[in-house]
Amino acid sequence: MEIWSLPFSPSQRAKLLSAGYTYLHSFSHLSPSALAADLDVSPQEASDVLRVVTQAGMMRKPDSIVAGAQTAWDILCEDRTMNHITTSCEDLDGILGGGISCKEITEVGGVPGIGKTQLGIQLAVNVQIPVEYGGLGGKAIYVDTEGSFMVERAFQIAESCIQDIMDKVLQTDDVGVCQENLHVNAILANIFYFRICSYTEQIAVVNYLEKFISAQKDVKIIIIDSVTFHFRQDFDDLALRTRVLSALAQKMMKLAKKFNLAVVLLNQVTTKCTDGSFQLTLALGESWSHACTNRIILYWKGNERCAYLDKSPSLPLSAAPFSVTTKGIRSVASSCKRMRTT
Amino acid sequence: MSSYALEQEGEETLNPIPLTLISFQKCTLGCPILDSFFNGGIPCGSITELVSESSCGKTQLSLQLLLCSLLPRSHGGLNSTSLYIFSEPPFPFRRLKTLSATFKHPNPSPSFDPCDHILVHGVQTSEELLEFLDRVETLISQPLIRPVKLVVLDSVAALFRSEFDNHLADLSRRSSLFFKIASKLKALASKFEVAIVVTNQVVDSVGLEGLNEVQVGNYSCLFSSGRKVCPALGLSWANCVNSRVFLSRDEEKVADNKMWGSNSQALSENGGFEDGYGDFRTRTRRKMQVVFAPHLPKFSCEFEIRRDGVFGVKP
Repeated sequence: MEIWSLPFSPSQRAKLLSAGYTYLHSFSHLSPSALAADLDVSPQEASDVLRVVTQAGMMRKPDSIVAGAQTAWDILCEDRTMNHITTSCEDLDGILGGGISCKEITEVGGVPGIGKTQLGIQLAVNVQIPVEYGGLGGKAIYVDTEGSFMVERAFQIAESCIQDIMDKVLQTDDVGVCQENLHVNAILANIFYFRICSYTEQIAVVNYLEKFISAQKDVKIIIIDSVTFHFRQDFDDLALRTRVLSALAQKMMKLAKKFNLAVVLLNQVTTKCTDGSFQLTLALGESWSHACTNRIILYWKGNERCAYLDKSPSLPLSAAPFSVTTKGIRSVASSCKRMRTT
Repeated sequence: MSSYALEQEGEETLNPIPLTLISFQKCTLGCPILDSFFNGGIPCGSITELVSESSCGKTQLSLQLLLCSLLPRSHGGLNSTSLYIFSEPPFPFRRLKTLSATFKHPNPSPSFDPCDHILVHGVQTSEELLEFLDRVETLISQPLIRPVKLVVLDSVAALFRSEFDNHLADLSRRSSLFFKIASKLKALASKFEVAIVVTNQVVDSVGLEGLNEVQVGNYSCLFSSGRKVCPALGLSWANCVNSRVFLSRDEEKVADNKMWGSNSQALSENGGFEDGYGDFRTRTRRKMQVVFAPHLPKFSCEFEIRRDGVFGVKP
């Protein structure tokens, strides 16, 4: 920025220009006395000039964007401290680098009955594990579009989660730190449940979430179960559907970054017809697959449930078995033994 | 594109529902063993699908549910008027009469006839069903003394199996219709806390090729009458239901003298009583299995169909 655009009197401007002060940055690290000597003015006038210059400097817009830039080193450091929400299955946590990561969108897809909803409920409970026990101590938002969220199941999973924490506490002989928070009803009360009956409602809720999270604080995970259901009917205009969905994904991304929370979008599978042969693929089409940062596909391998990390910017793509038990998502019993013996 | 819809509705509808206020309400099946199989009964607010080949007991179970939903809440019912939508005529009225004759209402007034509180409607096509569901919403939203709390659709497969071709265009039109119907049913279910039960047929699973081999739920393959079968209407419909229960039957030869006493009332497939011939007679073993359900573990249970209804068998 040149100094002629600043509010100086003509005489001041002439003195500054003749002394060689053409740009704003020429004033940096300049003391009033040095400037006074340079311009041959009183120290009082020199400090006035500097005040105008600093004010102008603060208002400069382009600079503030540059100031907001992060170095890759900063981002790496931030990543190292990035929070993860455990899935309660060691193997699954293993391929995810510790669990579902905050600040990112994770898409989970699979056939009906594979355990998508179970994983959703598990995460809504696990996000509330207190910080003392390695959790985030946050709250959860559960957007249910399919009506599959069962309170009795959430109750069961919450109960087992508390039981597991208590077992850990007993092992370490560190009883009575914050037991009063660990109550099933308290856990259920911290899951904010939205029941959605149409895609307009779904968009409305996503738009409303920012306001809601600002008021609630501490929301650390948003689960949409499923993002797909209402978008698979009545959409003749597929281009419109794509636009609406990518706007939705962008909003979720913004929420994830702004509030440092994890977003989990559950998706259904469908069959894709390529060259006359049918293949299983996640619903919502090609463009949607760009919308999410991470993608996990759940599938059957014989009689065992497996999860495959299909897309991730930082982790190797790999698979891990998991199981759905009465207690919730857990490691497969046999692999548990294997881990203990080795 | 639709933010104005939100402004019209107001923001109250957007507030989260406290989980403690969501009803756990379930509808009893009229048999303690079956109730424990369903962990209390058929849940309100979601779609439960009963899938099986013909004459396994889908309709029997549906009819029994219609009656049980009339029970007061203190007896595990829904104190409801029940709606039965059938797409496979005729409506089994005589069977309903037989069941209602043995149906015991805990505090019957002399004029109480269960059939007075069961509404029946037939639909032939999927369009007709969609149209009818709109009318159902006005019916349910009316403040009746006994509000509608149970809707049975028997069967969803019959609506779709004739109308559509095997072309890609037809298939995608079909699955769009599935989602439309399911979304209407689910909206009814969650707005008015209605239990929805749909029945579905099976198709034979042939060969290793094809989509029928996609494993949906807990079982890699389902068997009924010794054949490998899978639920009709494919993957997209499977995405539409919340819980799926598979009913199956198998013929079994048993020594005559052993089973005669306990099982003499079991109805055979043609409606009469089973007759022993020689030293052996065939006995039908019926089983229900949870294929998938958000609230039920992988579990199975044997049941039998008797003159007075469907009952679970203790393992």
